[in-house]
Amino acid sequence: MFDGFLAPRYIGWMIDGLGVTLGLSALASVIALVLGFVLCVLRLSPSRPVAGLAAAWLSAFRNTPLLVQLFFWYFGVSALLPDSLMAWLNAPHRIGVEAFGAPWPPFEMLAGLLGLSLYSAAFMAEEFRAGIYSVAPGQTAAGRALGMTSTQIWISIILPQAVRIARAPLAGQVMNVVKNSSLTMAIGLAELSYAARQVETETFQAFQAFGLATLFYIGAVALIGGFSQLAWGRSSPPTGAAR
Amino acid sequence: MNPSVITDNLIYFLVGPWPQGPLGGAALTVILTVLSAALSGVLGLVFGVLLSVLRGPWLAVLRLGLGLFRAIPVLMLIFWIYFLAPIAFGLDVPGVGSVVAALSLIGGAYLAHTVHAGIEALPRGQWAAASALGLSRRQTLWLVVAPQVLPRMAPSVVNQWIALTKDTSLAYVIGVAELSFVATQVSNRVMVYPAEIYLFVAVLYFILCAGFELAAGRLARRYRSLPA
Amino acid sequence: MRLALTAITLMMTLAVAACGRNDAPQDRLAAIRQAGVLRVATFDSNPPFGSVNPTTRKIEGLDVDYAQALADKLGVKLEITPTNPANRIPLLASGKVDLVLANFTITEERAKQVDFSIPYFASGQQFIAKTGTLTSPDQLNGLRIGVDKGTVNEINLREKYPQAVLVAYDDTPFAFTALRNGNVQAISQDGPKLIGVLANAPDASGYEIPAFSISQDLIGVGIPKGQAALKTFVDTTLVELEASGQAQRIYDRWFGPDTRTPLARSYRIGESAAVAAH
Repeated sequence: MFDGFLAPRYIGWMIDGLGVTLGLSALASVIALVLGFVLCVLRLSPSRPVAGLAAAWLSAFRNTPLLVQLFFWYFGVSALLPDSLMAWLNAPHRIGVEAFGAPWPPFEMLAGLLGLSLYSAAFMAEEFRAGIYSVAPGQTAAGRALGMTSTQIWISIILPQAVRIARAPLAGQVMNVVKNSSLTMAIGLAELSYAARQVETETFQAFQAFGLATLFYIGAVALIGGFSQLAWGRSSPPTGAAR
Repeated sequence: MNPSVITDNLIYFLVGPWPQGPLGGAALTVILTVLSAALSGVLGLVFGVLLSVLRGPWLAVLRLGLGLFRAIPVLMLIFWIYFLAPIAFGLDVPGVGSVVAALSLIGGAYLAHTVHAGIEALPRGQWAAASALGLSRRQTLWLVVAPQVLPRMAPSVVNQWIALTKDTSLAYVIGVAELSFVATQVSNRVMVYPAEIYLFVAVLYFILCAGFELAAGRLARRYRSLPA
Repeated sequence: MRLALTAITLMMTLAVAACGRNDAPQDRLAAIRQAGVLRVATFDSNPPFGSVNPTTRKIEGLDVDYAQALADKLGVKLEITPTNPANRIPLLASGKVDLVLANFTITEERAKQVDFSIPYFASGQQFIAKTGTLTSPDQLNGLRIGVDKGTVNEINLREKYPQAVLVAYDDTPFAFTALRNGNVQAISQDGPKLIGVLANAPDASGYEIPAFSISQDLIGVGIPKGQAALKTFVDTTLVELEASGQAQRIYDRWFGPDTRTPLARSYRIGESAAVAAH
């Protein structure tokens, strides 16, 4: 079990897995940031039904395990979708202009990206909301006194401060996205944890495979944390708990 | 949608093979959560206090250790404790113990920073005042600092519990028969109702977690209304 | 400060005491007798080898019956740990179980990590696909094929059909769900296991197991490395089970003509591998 290090071929598998993990995490983070912001705006909407629906949505996605959500998206929803749509989703397509066309992602990737993005968006929305709440209410009043409209107050007073306050906790959430992406191995997505299991199956070098995967994860999370700390001085959400 | 797949297997979802076999299902999920919550609370408190009192290289070591536990995916840590620790250190931790250990270490690492932040938020003058009154550092910690810091931490502790409840689902990878694991067993057996089964399981988790969230909301309001 | 350190020391002591030590070189057979418990890993989602009975809510199957026979011979209690394919070797290597009876194919590579008993079952690697879509192994190279993590099926396919795209799941029923949903075009496992999958599928009519297989495999009991006494015990008990007719009765209970998975018995314990290949 300890003998030697992984053969270059298997290190290649692990690096491929790391690539998928990083690509998936980056895409999911971007989608989650945008969607999280939209959800936060809806959550703070003056319309009670809109705010209530957004609150229910956030609560549903925050309070159920990501693993169960992924199983639902991959195994459950595809059982409910019409066969023709599933056939289309599974068949290879070209995305966008042919010259820039990337290969159509396998359904594991689509389901994994959807699950991870929706889950993470719920947490990002709460970080945005916490940021907005921490802008002193007096500033809105001050804006009004200066004759600014609601929209002007939001765009030029509240949001710039809220984003500045929320960006370090949001970086913490991006770290969580990287860690949580490991769960997509359960739906057959060939990311880093999946690669570690593959290498272990072929070589039985469990320590080397899981050791290298662990180092890659810690390295990726540390890089995000280091960047956040250098740029903004703090790397994790104040509660530190919202996983 | 076929509700009978849920009603037919309801007992298995809730308690697993119990009472003929070991307790499993949602009941085991609750037990894993309660044990991990208690142990991560203790670890968080101890490490949080240490973050505030340690200086120099020991502080750096502790920060590094806590940083590692906050950076490692839960899935990886469960693998390490369950499969690799016995081979590397001869330490044989059973499945339930491995999950509780992994969740407590990670939960404790997060809570440590909450505790530390809570302690740091107190005016330094309180330490001096306590010292002037003849209290030792330890007495100050327990008689002056703890009563002020602990109640204010309550909401983030409850948030941590919600995270723990959800993370117990990862026990599935090492065959611990908690809710997610028995759900996959049922789904594997009846085969054609994955949507029904995972939705139902999600609702069970939601009830557990939303209960905690409601409690957290109540606590937050209560302490927000107190003079800071 | 001192209080905190005391608390940490106390907790670590408790943790170590609660967990106990796992000393590899001890005689496992003697330890099993002393503990009065035989710990065996079996499948929990793979009828008829091992699956949860919905009425009793306990794991049952061919592998469980063999495990029970071994426990009975020792006069100890049987304790079943559910496993998926990928966890089998880690469970043995980490000392979490004494034996693995989970449709465990004997291979040279695995034999470097764990010991195997003499074979007690034989099978070959086959496929499930939508009826009429897969007729010859030549087609495999162009397909997306669902396999189980940690199986020889996966390694075998990768070597023989490098152009096939493999997607590995935690267990065979997950792979079958992916096939049903169209995410893969075929799934691969040992033939008898696939027969068990189809026999229990409510929509089995749309699927078939094409008549070719791409390997011949022998199934043995996985035993921790270097436990000679335990291996001897398992081997002799398996031979006795065949001689007494109990092996046949166990087989018939799960694969006999009156079961949901009727399958002629191609291999008897003690036969050479060459015979089994037919």
